[in-house]
Amino acid sequence: MRNRMSTFAVLLLVMALLLSACAPAAAPAGAPAAEGESTEAAAAEAGDGAPSELRVAWWGSQNRHDRTIAAIELFEQLHPEIKVVYEFSGWDDHWTKMTTQAAGGNLPDVMQQDYARLEEWVSRGLLMPLDAYVADGTLNFDNVSESALAGGIIDGQLYGVNLGTNSMVIVIDADKLAEAGLEAPSPDWTFADFEQLATQLHENLGVYGFTGGLSNEQLWKNLYLSLGEWIYNEDGSALGYADDQPLIDYLSMVKRMQDTGVIPTREMEVAEAGSSVEDNYIVSGDAAMTYVWSNQLVALSAAAGEGRNFLLVPMPRPEGGASTNYLKPSMFFSITSQAKNPDAAAMFIDFFTNDIEANKILMAERGVPVSSAVREALQPELDVAQQQIFNYIADIESSVSPIPPPDVAGHANVMNNVYWPLVMDPFFYGQQSLEDTVRILREQADAVLAESAAQ
Amino acid sequence: MSKALPAPAAPSPAAARAPAKRRKRGGARRTDNLMGYLFIAPWLVAFFAFTLIPIIASFVLAFTNYDVLNPNWSWVGLQNFERMFTRDPRYIKSLQATFFYAFTAIPLRLAFALAVAMLLNTHRRGVSTYRAAYYAPSIVGGSVAVAVMWREIFGADGLINAILGTDITWLGNPNTAIWTLIVLAVWQFGSPMLIFLAGLKQIPREFYEAASIDGANGWQQFWGITLPLLTPIIFFNLVMQLISGFMVFTQAFIITGGAPLDTTLFYALYLYQRAFVSLQMGYASAMAWVLLAIVGIMTALVFRSSSYWVFYGSQEEN
Repeated sequence: MRNRMSTFAVLLLVMALLLSACAPAAAPAGAPAAEGESTEAAAAEAGDGAPSELRVAWWGSQNRHDRTIAAIELFEQLHPEIKVVYEFSGWDDHWTKMTTQAAGGNLPDVMQQDYARLEEWVSRGLLMPLDAYVADGTLNFDNVSESALAGGIIDGQLYGVNLGTNSMVIVIDADKLAEAGLEAPSPDWTFADFEQLATQLHENLGVYGFTGGLSNEQLWKNLYLSLGEWIYNEDGSALGYADDQPLIDYLSMVKRMQDTGVIPTREMEVAEAGSSVEDNYIVSGDAAMTYVWSNQLVALSAAAGEGRNFLLVPMPRPEGGASTNYLKPSMFFSITSQAKNPDAAAMFIDFFTNDIEANKILMAERGVPVSSAVREALQPELDVAQQQIFNYIADIESSVSPIPPPDVAGHANVMNNVYWPLVMDPFFYGQQSLEDTVRILREQADAVLAESAAQ
Repeated sequence: MSKALPAPAAPSPAAARAPAKRRKRGGARRTDNLMGYLFIAPWLVAFFAFTLIPIIASFVLAFTNYDVLNPNWSWVGLQNFERMFTRDPRYIKSLQATFFYAFTAIPLRLAFALAVAMLLNTHRRGVSTYRAAYYAPSIVGGSVAVAVMWREIFGADGLINAILGTDITWLGNPNTAIWTLIVLAVWQFGSPMLIFLAGLKQIPREFYEAASIDGANGWQQFWGITLPLLTPIIFFNLVMQLISGFMVFTQAFIITGGAPLDTTLFYALYLYQRAFVSLQMGYASAMAWVLLAIVGIMTALVFRSSSYWVFYGSQEEN
């Protein structure tokens, strides 16, 4: 009896303590939120009142953080009724934070989204369709082309607003090219042309003809995109192409270039993993060509310093294929379905898209702005590298391939647990034959994809 | 404490004589108990919120395919465990890497710690400064900063290549990458060293004096006296290092990321990748419980073996 009583007392006590321990944490969080809502409602009616809170989250570099915060301050000046609370981090932390907040029902109003993840987040009901805000003019896309918005549309509804356009680009050191006495390639050059040019640069100058991750999955994607196919099938339950031969040809080319010293080996890439654009061999003059996403050219030229001349060329393509390039929304702003203040969120995104002053602060750091009015206004203020990017995007716009679908739900799993550890690394480390490599890619990727599609 | 636990015999005679009084005293005791629990409440709350509940949650999740974002998770029975051993080649690689690391880094670290402890077991002037200096690496060695520094040291243009005049991609070569982590582990010999030092100080000096009179050289003294008398300390250090060795994470996470070819994909790192990169919380939880079992078995084996090699002075006398 005594024992049972005391056990009961302990249990009660523990529960009481747990509750009381939760209370102080919950009360301050809950009370202002409730207040915020009421003042927000009041503000909506009366047109003024205490500031309502808008939470914004993004990933990026320090440069992006500084620019974005400055733009947010401008937004707060224009809209004193809105107080912006922001959270920023690097890529990995951003997603860890966002998934945790999603699980806790605590997502910010505006979150930076990525093309690779957009579909997954939409399919889980975590993002809000923006069409109503487009219809009522809160989001004004008068100066934005349809193709620039296309990436954010899923099942006919807009879930993300493109913050800038990007495309992959081959960067050639123009001085090295001249030194080697070679011609610039044409925009529709093939992988055979590419291998030849890189090899000649290497042989004539003794530097790497090319540097950069040619085993990166992006190149795998580009390859099949160029052939009018896609790496995944429509429902993401298996690989989407039947013919392994283009991949076999491509991988044997890359291996050949590694073996002859034209490009750094995979082993060197692994050892340098995590290096930034600034550490690229083209910066130090140890390589004559590389590839980057177009927005990275700014960082690359800044690191290379004054007096360097770079030439931008589209990515090479397989024989007989279409362009391997496409215009990619570098990132989006989305409104989450857990947003407490979606109206202010829509105003904020519109401000980011259309406000000239804001974009003069942001300075196309997220890619070429989608609004033609903003692009025109920025033109006179662009530096050489930015000018080159704007021109490059304008040049390729008419000839690029259509944007491929966003990555399927199993993509990250395929990358982390199949593509690198079982396929690319064993092959480039010479531990696996090419035949085994493409066979394992198909077998293992299909298994992973089938499982995640069934979930 | 003594107030909260009154003599257990007291209530029964009191209860027989005066029931009313008993109730009163019982109430007072309950208040005392309440006070006691109140005092340990901060610890209790943290224990429940951050230890017990997560442990239970992880055990439950191990039998699901929960992935944080997807609300439609379901029970999958033992499928997570089955996959680990039958359909996940990377899991096997992570086991290989972890066991290789544990079976090389731990003996090397202990040997190094013992060697340094013996060097520092003197009465020279300033020896305490040396002890502090040699202990320092184990304070900073587990930190992110040192891991980042290690990356630089073993980088292509790093210190090691500069000294050796070589051009080896230490972190990219599957034969060398794990050794950079083992060297880092050996360098953090500080805490086993301190424990060895304490053990060495307890070995009676007379033993060595007697041995040297009998003509035993230093090497014989080490094998015949130091090592046998130190076996309880070695045993303790081995168990502690074994447990931490199987949970190694930070260094591999920062220095190699599991590369190349998964040769440094330690168990905890792979678990982290599954949980927070692939978001497969169910699978990661299952892995965590298997790790617990592995560490438990390894520790039990060491305990079992101890009767064959650990020497307690008192046993010998019996």
